[in-house]
Amino acid sequence: MGERNTPELLPGTLYMLILRTLAGGPLHGYAIVKRVKEASREGIAIEDGSLYPALNRMMVKGWLKAEWGISENNRKARFYCLTPAGRKQLEQEAADFDRMVRAIQLVMRTA
Amino acid sequence: MLTELLQRISYLFRRRRFDDDLDAELQFHLDARADELVAGGMTRPAALVQARREFGSSARMQEETRSAWQFGWVEDLASDLRYAARGFKRNPAFAATAIACLALGIGANTTMFSVAAEALFSKPSVREPQTIRSLRVGGISHLPMADYRFLRDAQVFDGLAGEHEDQHANWRIGDATYRLFAIRVSDNYFDVTGTPLTMGRGIATGEHDTAVVSWRFWNERLGGDPMVLGRKLILDGRPHTITGVLTRKHRTMFGAGISPDLYLPANDTIRMSLFARIRPGVSDAEIRSRLIAAAQELDRISPARDKRAGRIRIGEVEGLGRLRSQPEFLPIAAFFGMLMIVVSLVLVIASANVASLLLARASSRSQEMAVRLSIGAGRGRLVRQLLAETLLLGLCGAAAGLLINLFATSWLSNIHLPLPIPIRLDVQPDWRLLGYATLVAIGSSLVAGLAPAINSARAGLSATLKRGERQTAGGWNLRNGLVAGQIAVSIVLLSAGFLFLRNVSEASGMNPGFDVDHTVWASMRLVPEQYDSRDRVAALIDTALARLRGTPGVDAAAIVRVVPLNDEMDAATTIRVDGGNAVRAEWYQNDVSPDYFRTMQIPLVAGRDFRPNERGIVIVNENFARTLFGDTNPLGHTIDSDPLGKVEVIGVARNSSYFTLADRNALAVYRPYRPEAAGGQAAVLHFLARAAGRPEPITGAIRHTLDRLDPTSAIEVRPMNQALTMALLPSRAGALVLGSAGALGLSLAAVGLYGVLLYTVSRRIREIGLRVALGATPAAILRLVLRHSMGLVGAGTAVGLAIAAVAVRPLAAYLVPGVSPGDPLNFAVVAGVLFLVALAATAAPALRALRIDPLTALRHD
Repeated sequence: MGERNTPELLPGTLYMLILRTLAGGPLHGYAIVKRVKEASREGIAIEDGSLYPALNRMMVKGWLKAEWGISENNRKARFYCLTPAGRKQLEQEAADFDRMVRAIQLVMRTA
Repeated sequence: MLTELLQRISYLFRRRRFDDDLDAELQFHLDARADELVAGGMTRPAALVQARREFGSSARMQEETRSAWQFGWVEDLASDLRYAARGFKRNPAFAATAIACLALGIGANTTMFSVAAEALFSKPSVREPQTIRSLRVGGISHLPMADYRFLRDAQVFDGLAGEHEDQHANWRIGDATYRLFAIRVSDNYFDVTGTPLTMGRGIATGEHDTAVVSWRFWNERLGGDPMVLGRKLILDGRPHTITGVLTRKHRTMFGAGISPDLYLPANDTIRMSLFARIRPGVSDAEIRSRLIAAAQELDRISPARDKRAGRIRIGEVEGLGRLRSQPEFLPIAAFFGMLMIVVSLVLVIASANVASLLLARASSRSQEMAVRLSIGAGRGRLVRQLLAETLLLGLCGAAAGLLINLFATSWLSNIHLPLPIPIRLDVQPDWRLLGYATLVAIGSSLVAGLAPAINSARAGLSATLKRGERQTAGGWNLRNGLVAGQIAVSIVLLSAGFLFLRNVSEASGMNPGFDVDHTVWASMRLVPEQYDSRDRVAALIDTALARLRGTPGVDAAAIVRVVPLNDEMDAATTIRVDGGNAVRAEWYQNDVSPDYFRTMQIPLVAGRDFRPNERGIVIVNENFARTLFGDTNPLGHTIDSDPLGKVEVIGVARNSSYFTLADRNALAVYRPYRPEAAGGQAAVLHFLARAAGRPEPITGAIRHTLDRLDPTSAIEVRPMNQALTMALLPSRAGALVLGSAGALGLSLAAVGLYGVLLYTVSRRIREIGLRVALGATPAAILRLVLRHSMGLVGAGTAVGLAIAAVAVRPLAAYLVPGVSPGDPLNFAVVAGVLFLVALAATAAPALRALRIDPLTALRHD
């Protein structure tokens, strides 16, 4: 795909994080970055340069929709929200991720 | 997957807005971050700079975002093509030359393809041709009407129609009578075949005096009259009502370009070839067994000499299936196959030229390639770019080639061949042609472009910027090889073309053994119904000959069954001399009236001419006399054979041409003309008249004389030398096609040679300059260029001659005896012509080399 994830981000989790962040309601790109940063207590930083390609790839897949709106400080901004397909994808990825983390933990504790 | 595809497609239509949106979104992102930084106490300009720095490369982000929506390779191809087009615009001479070469090759190829497709694979104009079968019963192509009716009523098929495609009708209009070409059909023909019409209806069941006219006849002879339906034509003395007009693109069931003037109902005397409509899904085996059962029944009811239930053939009426079911088409198919090979060779030469041009271009672009490689372009990407250029060349070449095709085919469609049957190849461009042209263009451009592309990418990779002239040593060999190959192929084409050319001149100058310069040929087609009694034909012939002899300017007149060189007259069987043993022999046989030999100026070397109303005697030619009688005088001896009966030889005529101009060793027998054989369906009388002076001035008088005897007959009068065109047609066609293919190939090869030499000189400017500076004379420089040129020509000629010596051998079948495919003179002439052309192509590069000034050359990059 050519995208460069931040070293902090587990590969393949960017889509899931964006989907989860948007599950609460529509957000613009800058707010997504901030929300992820806050929620992870500064543990995860999405690189600005890879956010927009990722958002667009997700739109091509039909998981997101984008609409122009007005931001909290009165600027024109593009808001992204989940489509039903995106919601299903989030559930799927979250479940898979949970199972994977639990399995990894099991291995780490017993081995 | 589908949503993704639709999303990507929708992107294509809103690309402009998408880019604007992305810009706005980027701006918002930076503003929002700057707002935050300002809130943290930074000045606005500093905050904006900071935000931008944090964001990183916005260009890369935009590129990646866009690529999320794109179809990778399609857009890449589009940009490659755009880039290629820009490159061509910068170097129009290169692009124009390459496109012209491809266009000529593709034009020649597609034209030949169009003609072959029309001649061999034209689809008959009928409803659902896939459920129509042509039938041959008892090994006979045309069955008597009664047999056709029996099979039709046997209910074996959904419908059984019959037609005879070689028919005529006399059309009387005003004071003139014209012979029209007609197809006579059974009254259910239009129902069974579903032949489409421009207007009106087909011939209906039970109708006699109706006609369906062709589009061409309607437009050219009836003035395109919109009220033509219901109009009456006087055909063979009876009014016929026009019920319909065929479509413009009408193709007959028979195919091969036969284009009749009209369709007429068949009467009881006409034999029918059969076409059946079958139910879809019924196998040919099933049809066969049912047809055999019906034919056996027919054999039982009305026995014939040949059993009709045997030798049954069921064939398709379109495409390859038709070709397979009509073995008589195979020689034509082989002829077109040969022509396709010839034009393919021209295309190969053209492709080699383009490849050679591309190689030259690639090596002069090696610096650009090296730069692009060093700033990170993939090697595959470069090859793709070069292939895109070739593809663009190919497409432009195909487009230009199709234009050539359109002009050539419309010209060919209007050619009226001097044949006894009306053949017009109405060539129309269609999807087959488009597909073929695209295939040829892509194929040839890939062949032309692949080697240069790989070569230059490989060279480009290792080529450092300072590596000098010698870097493309591999390309040199390939380029030289291509030119030598072109020369070789040209030699082959020229050898074949030259053979046909010699054949034409040899055949034209060949003495047919009779006089063509003072003879007039008048044919008279009688309306069969008006000559039901043989006496009437005999009386007409007697009067006609008497009147012709009385016409001023006519020295002698005769009637003949077959005009030499214009129809078949062969016979082959066993023969007995004076009741001796039967010997097998082949001979030509013609029926002639008294005075035939005087009219045609064929000397009688022994014996005498026929006298009126003689029977049981023959005149033979010298070959016949020598073969069957040896040194004995044949006069007074009898010969006995099936087609002649027992007859006495009364004369020996000098050998002449009969069926072809090359009939030098043919045996021939002349019988007295029998009017009773002239009646019936094939009631065409051929009169010959000997003019005292030029034949042209008396043709009008002859026409008038014959017309007054019977105004309902169709009369055609022409000088005998025109009649020879038929005999020369195959040689002329071969000379035209092969000669022009050879000339085209030669000129393309000359361009290739010229290009390579010029390129070599331009690459060696510094070296040549150095040589001049070191004291090389102009003669030495000239030798340098000439040695290169003649090396290529010599190699190409040697290979070409070796191939040609074998390749032209099968052409012997088309040639007159005086021309031999193995004649060394042919090859010498061809090699000489090629040498001269090559010398001309060398002149400009040689001059260029001579004009090199050592001072400027040594400063040359």
